[in-house]
Amino acid sequence: MVTDDSGGETVVRLDGVRKEYGGTTALDGVSLRIRAGEAVAVMGPSGCGKSTLLNMISGLDRPTDGTVVVHGEDVGKLSEKGLALYRRRRIGMIFQFFNLVDDLTALDNVALAAQLTGSPARQARRRALELFEELGIADRRNAYPAVLSGGERQRVAVARALMNRPALLLADEPTGALDSRAGEQVMDLLLDLNQIGQTLILVTHDEHLARRCASRLVLLADGRVAGEHTLEPSA
Amino acid sequence: MRAVWPAARAAVRRRRLQTLVIWLVTLTSTGAIVVALGLVDSASAPFDRAFAKEHGPHVVAAFDPAKVSDAQLRQAARRSGAEAAAGPFAQAAVDIPADANRELTGAVTIVGRPGPGGPVDRVDLWAGRWADRPGEVVLNRQPDWSADALGKRIRLPSGTVLTIVGYGYEMSRTADAWVAPAQMAALRPTATQMLFRFTDASSQSRLRAELSTVTSELPKDALTASQTYLTLKEQIGATARAYAQYLMAFGFLGVVVAVLIVANVVSGAVISGFRHIGILKALGFTPGQVVAVYLTMVSVPAVVGCALGTLVGNVLARPFLRFVFTGPDAGMLHRSVGIAPWVNAVALLGMPAVCVAAALVPASRAHRLSAARAISAGTAPRAGRALGLQRALAGTRLPRSVSLGAGLPFARPGRSGLTLAAVVLGVATVTFATGLATTMTRFGETGDDYDVTVYAGRVSHGRIVEPEHGDRRLDAMLRALPGASKVTARGDVEALIAGSVQPVMFEGRRGDLPRLGDVLTEGRWNHGSGEVVASSAFLRRHGLRVGDRLVVAKGDRRERVTVVGETMETDGRLLVGDWPTFTALAPGEKPISYHVKLRDGADPAGYARAARALDPGLDPVVNGPNSSVETIIGSATLLTVMLAVVAALGVFNTVVLNTRDRRRDLGMLKSIGMTPRQVTVMTVTSMGVLGVIGSLLGVPLGIAGYDLVMPRMANAVDIVLPSSLTDVWRAGVLTLLALSGLAIAVLGAYLPARGAARLTVAEALHNE
Repeated sequence: MVTDDSGGETVVRLDGVRKEYGGTTALDGVSLRIRAGEAVAVMGPSGCGKSTLLNMISGLDRPTDGTVVVHGEDVGKLSEKGLALYRRRRIGMIFQFFNLVDDLTALDNVALAAQLTGSPARQARRRALELFEELGIADRRNAYPAVLSGGERQRVAVARALMNRPALLLADEPTGALDSRAGEQVMDLLLDLNQIGQTLILVTHDEHLARRCASRLVLLADGRVAGEHTLEPSA
Repeated sequence: MRAVWPAARAAVRRRRLQTLVIWLVTLTSTGAIVVALGLVDSASAPFDRAFAKEHGPHVVAAFDPAKVSDAQLRQAARRSGAEAAAGPFAQAAVDIPADANRELTGAVTIVGRPGPGGPVDRVDLWAGRWADRPGEVVLNRQPDWSADALGKRIRLPSGTVLTIVGYGYEMSRTADAWVAPAQMAALRPTATQMLFRFTDASSQSRLRAELSTVTSELPKDALTASQTYLTLKEQIGATARAYAQYLMAFGFLGVVVAVLIVANVVSGAVISGFRHIGILKALGFTPGQVVAVYLTMVSVPAVVGCALGTLVGNVLARPFLRFVFTGPDAGMLHRSVGIAPWVNAVALLGMPAVCVAAALVPASRAHRLSAARAISAGTAPRAGRALGLQRALAGTRLPRSVSLGAGLPFARPGRSGLTLAAVVLGVATVTFATGLATTMTRFGETGDDYDVTVYAGRVSHGRIVEPEHGDRRLDAMLRALPGASKVTARGDVEALIAGSVQPVMFEGRRGDLPRLGDVLTEGRWNHGSGEVVASSAFLRRHGLRVGDRLVVAKGDRRERVTVVGETMETDGRLLVGDWPTFTALAPGEKPISYHVKLRDGADPAGYARAARALDPGLDPVVNGPNSSVETIIGSATLLTVMLAVVAALGVFNTVVLNTRDRRRDLGMLKSIGMTPRQVTVMTVTSMGVLGVIGSLLGVPLGIAGYDLVMPRMANAVDIVLPSSLTDVWRAGVLTLLALSGLAIAVLGAYLPARGAARLTVAEALHNE
């Protein structure tokens, strides 16, 4: 962990990160610092590299060049197993399309994240139930994803992301597949999480979401950081 | 339909792995089907085919030339309504001493025949030429003999000298040798031979009735002997029938496994393409065009696979069939067996038809699906399956990767069911083949109680060289050679049993191991004079049982003996007693061979060399492996490996398809921290469950198949298998067999599981 000029802990540090897919450059020398407890929104036009940036930080993909250091770990140097353990311990991911396992109940979807680390089923389910109660979906714990609404599915996905108490919560278009009411609920949830100290990085096209949940905005264009702005909390 | 071909071609290109799997599975399956059906076909009717090819005679009849003229026989044949007739041919019985030559000895039948062809009994003249002039002879020999005696001369006891000018073969054994008709007068013929083919030759009674019609207007007692082809068929077909039982079992398994796997692969290919189907529909493809795209996409690799598989099957089957039908009895059939055209037609047309039929079922679902529903396949959440089971598994103490994997097969019950069926049949095949091989190995080892057989008498340059030393001296010398442990002498003599005209072979044994590796199936071994053991076939042929008494006669000598035991032996003429009983029946007879058991570590070849040096009249032969046992074990192994590979390919295909279907889930699981090892464990477990269930069902099925086939195989060669040979299912073996299902499943699943473990999460989730 390092401390930056402003005195906060730097949780994420990207230095000159470049990512190429074949002949296409998705990220081109991105450098970025994110402090603990910060909520950062990454915005930009389609194809600017937002999701690729998130994949680099979450360890879903490796940079072609440059370094990604999260909580002092150089993500690019981790083995496949190391990356899996890194994602398990440090990262919580929320996807646009939820990515729940259709054959498992909502509760078991969430408990799964803890069970992969070796937690006994009963303990994992107890922790999952606590999260369900916090997120207000305890009555839907035994439902299967197919019968849940979009908002409920995303809350289950958020619960799963929080299951292993991650240092960093990453959200990729978390409201992109939701109607406005469900989107608002998820925004509130993310805001609440950040307010209790959860570091949050969210990728979005939605400026309203960015202003509502984030304290800093990173603009990407053509794989580069085109600007950074501090955001005032919106009403 | 112009848009169909480019769309199908693009689909084939895009799904390279799936195309490869379809191609590989259809190739292997078609190859297995060609081998299996070819074996079934060849094993079921080799005699009939070979017999029809040479227009074999349904009845071979011998007439008394003193009572009926050739003209009368010709006229009777024309009148009778026989389908075809050949003859009359003069026939002589000649007794040629064993030391006269090595080509034609004993009681032989010589027939005067103008040529090898004709409407009945076409002789295959496979070396030299026909005997056109007096002084020439053609010998009846199987084509796998060498023809190096062409030009040699045979002196008959009457003084007549015949030069061997050709080798011919016909399976009906109407003669041991043929000469020109003009030669026959010198051989003093005793019968006139007629060969008949009848329209209805279905049974002995029909053949007797047909023959009665032929002889109805001939003088009484003109017909002196006759033999129908059904007797010959029974005799020749015994070995082939023994093979047929297990080959049919393998054939059936091969066809079912192949069809199951092809159906699984092809229907899976269509189901996994639902999203693509939706896109095509959205583009304006009609439902018919969509079905056509998918059928084309599946048919291209399938047809190529079927064509190549047929070729591979033919290449594999031909040498195998030749091997199967080689030997003293079935050997005469080996040239006539091969892959029948209908087998190739079934493979070339049937397998693509199975593929198309398998593709049509899911394709018709795609046909009915709306574009929107098809497009959302794989992305929209679907109602889960086997949910109760998943929930129960989630609560167990099993590692989560294992419990998740254990539930996966139940999420796709149709696909898992087809895969399971293939694994069940794969395990049943392995079980059946293991039982078969164990019994055959033990059967092959039954004759292994001695290492070297030393024959008394050696053929050299067409002459038999007798041993210089006497029996007792030879026995002592063989015992004295380094390495010798036990020596058993064996002699045999042709005899008769009272009340029967069929000769029997009475075998006397003397020495340390008089059982010579024979296996007793009932009763006990003979302990003293007057006791014999007989083969199962002997007892059946003569209607005898253990405990019965009989009189064995040789010339004017008679010995009363009691059958005290039944041995597992295919020779239906064999009766075994002790040396005093043997010499009482045939006082002048000497051993024909000495069977030597060596000490552990002694070199059989070295012993054989030393034995040869003892006496120029000795011919030592090292006891080799049993070729028919090796054939059965070898062929069973080949077929088992083929079927296990096909079953494993089925598992492979299922895992590939499941991985493709669950790409999103796998990406998500990895995103929340599932390690590559856990992904591999989960995927392999999902198929391991099918492997375990497959073992639980397949092992009993294989044992049932063994219980069904093995007695029939033994029965076909007139033997009864003792429990020591059939008691093959021990706990250790059953455990290993139970693991075979797991092995098939794990082998099939491992590679795609590794692929799934290496899946790039970002790519998998990016597909959204």
